[in-house]
Amino acid sequence: MTIGQPDSTVGVQDHPASAEPVRPATVAHGKSPLRIAMDRLRKDNVAVICAVIILFFILVAVFAPLLSKIEGQDFGTFHPDLVDEYGYPTIGLTPDHWFSVEPKTGRDNFARWVYGARPSLIVAFSATVFGTIVGVVMGLLAGFLGGWVDRVISWIIDFVLSLPYLLFAIALVPIVESMRGGSFNLTPEEQASTRFFVLIFVLSFFGWAGLARIIRGEVLSLREREFVLAAKAIGVPTRQVLFKELLPNLVAPIVISASLSLPAYVTLEAGLSFLGVGLVEPIPSWGQTIANATNWFKADPIYLWLPVVGITALVLALALLGDSIRDAFDPKTRR
Amino acid sequence: MLYFVARRLVSALSVVLVTLIATFALFFIAPTDPAGAICGDRNCTQERYNEIKQNLHLDKPKVQQFAEYTAGIFVGRDFETSGVVQHCSAPCLGFSFKNDRPVTQMLADRLPVTVSLVAGYAVIVLTIGVYVGSMAAKRRGTFGDRALMTSTLVVSSVPYYIVALMIALYLTILYPILPRGGWTPPSESVGKWFLGLLTPWLVLGIYSCTSYARYSRGSMVETLSEDFIRTARAKGLSDRVVTYKHALRSGLIPVITIFGLDVAGSLAGAIFTERIFDLPGLGVLVLDSLNNYDLPVIMGTVLVASVILVVMNFLVDIAYSIIDPRVRLA
Repeated sequence: MTIGQPDSTVGVQDHPASAEPVRPATVAHGKSPLRIAMDRLRKDNVAVICAVIILFFILVAVFAPLLSKIEGQDFGTFHPDLVDEYGYPTIGLTPDHWFSVEPKTGRDNFARWVYGARPSLIVAFSATVFGTIVGVVMGLLAGFLGGWVDRVISWIIDFVLSLPYLLFAIALVPIVESMRGGSFNLTPEEQASTRFFVLIFVLSFFGWAGLARIIRGEVLSLREREFVLAAKAIGVPTRQVLFKELLPNLVAPIVISASLSLPAYVTLEAGLSFLGVGLVEPIPSWGQTIANATNWFKADPIYLWLPVVGITALVLALALLGDSIRDAFDPKTRR
Repeated sequence: MLYFVARRLVSALSVVLVTLIATFALFFIAPTDPAGAICGDRNCTQERYNEIKQNLHLDKPKVQQFAEYTAGIFVGRDFETSGVVQHCSAPCLGFSFKNDRPVTQMLADRLPVTVSLVAGYAVIVLTIGVYVGSMAAKRRGTFGDRALMTSTLVVSSVPYYIVALMIALYLTILYPILPRGGWTPPSESVGKWFLGLLTPWLVLGIYSCTSYARYSRGSMVETLSEDFIRTARAKGLSDRVVTYKHALRSGLIPVITIFGLDVAGSLAGAIFTERIFDLPGLGVLVLDSLNNYDLPVIMGTVLVASVILVVMNFLVDIAYSIIDPRVRLA
């Protein structure tokens, strides 16, 4: 046994005479809450299945160009020869078009589906990252500094939480577009990319406040603890106290909040695109496809069901995984 | 108590004021071009553009515009379109030049739709949702409880609009088991009004019941383990009286809080239901205004929705302190 290498057998094998039975060596001492949570998650079947489904969607999104190349199609090419004069696709599932083609335009369904996974995941992940960073920093500052900083930040949190975010999200779209010169003057590509950033901005703008409030509450109780006092006493600068001493203690609420906001953001992104205020052509997105497909759902159910299944499976997996993560971090749940 | 109410009132008013300034700033001070947006870029002549600018008072200083807008909310104001002066009476939230009508009137037209929708929704979640939740709490740990809680978790994890859309497409159009959604004013025909709203109510209500069942179960489980419940049982009261008279009353407090905020949120957030079931409510009004860049309408709706939310927040806070004697008013 060497000093500095905390191995799990310490205190067990060395005291064979102790009243406690000798435990197997795998029972570790002093596991961090993160380790405990990870161990619990690994044993949770639902969590593992959900993680696999999420991984599948991430791989689909990352390898979208490769997948559509394997099929031999791309998401933007029109195939007017494959639809009849009323716009209905004339082919079913063929080796060339695995999931048939879109009504009216004849674009390939499979390619649009794999590319459609991209904006959902990118928007949700970026919004989660931005929202989490802002929320943590604001919560840390408000809770630790107190005084007027706390009052101002708390007021902003209350303010943001009391806004009707769905309406604001919708209202921001025309404003940002007209800042860039009005929707009539923008090319479709410019409009699409504007919408993309507006979505990320709106989701993170309304997402940070809830987390900031939780972090603030946690910090309020943590900052009175001895280790913070000790750090302050030996002259550790405030920034280091915040990020080196306090932040590691806040991992659980941060991970939980992030894992619960991911499905919410995927839902919202697709929902706004469905309403026509999210992503627009030429970016392929599931929400938009669902909105178009409702007009064709009787004649061409596969066109509707592809994005519906995509969204449902992704959100369900993310939400159930988030729920498992929350349970895993909660010391009150016993298994 | 009075001090507490006053302090909450000041804080609520400050939020309303900042919302007013923020929406105004977003729509009129940011480098946007409301006149250009209203005029439309395709066939907008310079004269028409200048006329709109003048009518909207966009050529005046921003502070004056803001003062006029705010004053309009309280005392009304006049607008001039193509030589005709239109009076927009208080509370005036601006004038829609696309529709040639004051925004307040347009909102008032749409409000009954959204209110009808939310009212039916409220009835369903407060009866079915709360009842199911308390039943599950009473039978905690049984198979039924666990099955119910797992299924509510799964259902509430599926995006709402997917559920609503699939039901609308398959159960009202393809296989017309449920009546199709639509709007008929109750003054015209109560029966048609009810039938048109039945499916939206059921879909929105039952979907949200899943989360209400969870809230009320959690709250009831906690309440049922309290001392006063043990006392009530020890007195020999029947199980029904204990559960529904003693426990439910205290267990409902957090549910009511969530409900208050939820109703305010749904007034603005029923957009998906309205769009999917063809109900011309506030949410659809905003979406339509977005498509033709009718900024005053969007601004008015955002403002009204924010005020409703703030007012509900305020009422819930006050109600909470009255219902629950343990809340100390500091």
